[in-house]
Amino acid sequence: MTEKEVYDKVIDLIAERFEVEPAKLMATTNIKNDLAADSIDLVEFVLELEDTFGGEIPDDEAEKLNTIDDVVKYIVAHQN
Amino acid sequence: MKIAVDAMGGDHAPAVVVKGVEQARDQWPDLEFVLFGDVAQVKPLIKDEQRLTLVQSNSVITNEDEPVKAVRSKKDSSMVMAAQAVKNGAADAIFSMGNTGALLATGIFVIGRIKGIDRPALMPTLPSVDPDKVVNLLDAGANAESKPNYLEQWALMGSIYARDIRGIKEPRIALLNNGTEYDKGDSLHQEVYQRLQANPNLNFVGNVEAGNLLNDQADVIVSDGFTGNAVLKATEGMASLLMKQIKHALLNNGTKVKLGAALIKPAFGDIKNRFSTSANGGAVLLGVNAPVVKTHGGSDEGAVVSTIGQIREMLRKQTIHQVIEYLQTNPIK
Repeated sequence: MTEKEVYDKVIDLIAERFEVEPAKLMATTNIKNDLAADSIDLVEFVLELEDTFGGEIPDDEAEKLNTIDDVVKYIVAHQN
Repeated sequence: MKIAVDAMGGDHAPAVVVKGVEQARDQWPDLEFVLFGDVAQVKPLIKDEQRLTLVQSNSVITNEDEPVKAVRSKKDSSMVMAAQAVKNGAADAIFSMGNTGALLATGIFVIGRIKGIDRPALMPTLPSVDPDKVVNLLDAGANAESKPNYLEQWALMGSIYARDIRGIKEPRIALLNNGTEYDKGDSLHQEVYQRLQANPNLNFVGNVEAGNLLNDQADVIVSDGFTGNAVLKATEGMASLLMKQIKHALLNNGTKVKLGAALIKPAFGDIKNRFSTSANGGAVLLGVNAPVVKTHGGSDEGAVVSTIGQIREMLRKQTIHQVIEYLQTNPIK
């Protein structure tokens, strides 16, 4: 998948999970602060990323995924 | 109806689990079981393989494991594999006697939340002052932090459960608070009071204090997770302490008292049975897409049977489906 495709998919996932208009999401959106995600939301989101894109995201890496851009860059870098 | 069983969870697993499952299988011909565990340990314990399928799992989540980490790292454990079977549609519900926190995490992260339920809640069934009744308490500790809409969602799920599983036409719902007046409690409890009172689908009977938890003032008591857990533990601790103190007093006050103790022993046995972990089934994680039910880790096979009976009722009455259906037309935000 291209970076653009990954970005669009991540936006779809976040919009659905956090019930936000996709148009309101951008690369700099901070998942924890801007979307008021708590620890359970974050773990669910990481599991959904694993189910959608394959592979496993180690906990120490997951902790660094703050913004949508962080998520997209991580997925693109770890694609098979 | 097929139940996925975590055969390795609990203090006396897998022996107690297998024994209980076999008794439940013999009692209810409409149930099938998939047991997840170490086949080398579990298989020799099975007397009759009718309606039992055994699946090898290579690890166990222990009580020492950190719940979320364990669920993510021990994907080959009996608990996670059982939950995965439910997620994949190979089973309809999960039974476990293992690590409570890990089972909650497994329910939330593997089986998944019901759409419209922000946070699932843990709901045990407790004895009541009336020997013919019980009371459900939720949340008993799945959530350390709670919001008003969570408690309204829990009240709704508790009400549906009490109606369908306990057969109460209009279950009495109360809010655990630090006083009975409507304006008692902090802002969270005050807002929850207003929400529960305004919900036309709930038979809200007001606030209840912790001292009246088991006093038949409600059929379902809703609490924030932190308080619910503290109150439950305090109640269990006090009951246990009281029984120990009575026993000590009866055995250490001379021969006459000992003789008296022998005479009243059956009455104490009756009380002990009513308050035992096996009497009222297990604690349900309400708010996930399938019945996830846990029995106390130190329980006997009787608790396994009663909890499986409870799961069977939830499946027969389609309790989870009732919640999903309700929320589709009456979302609680």
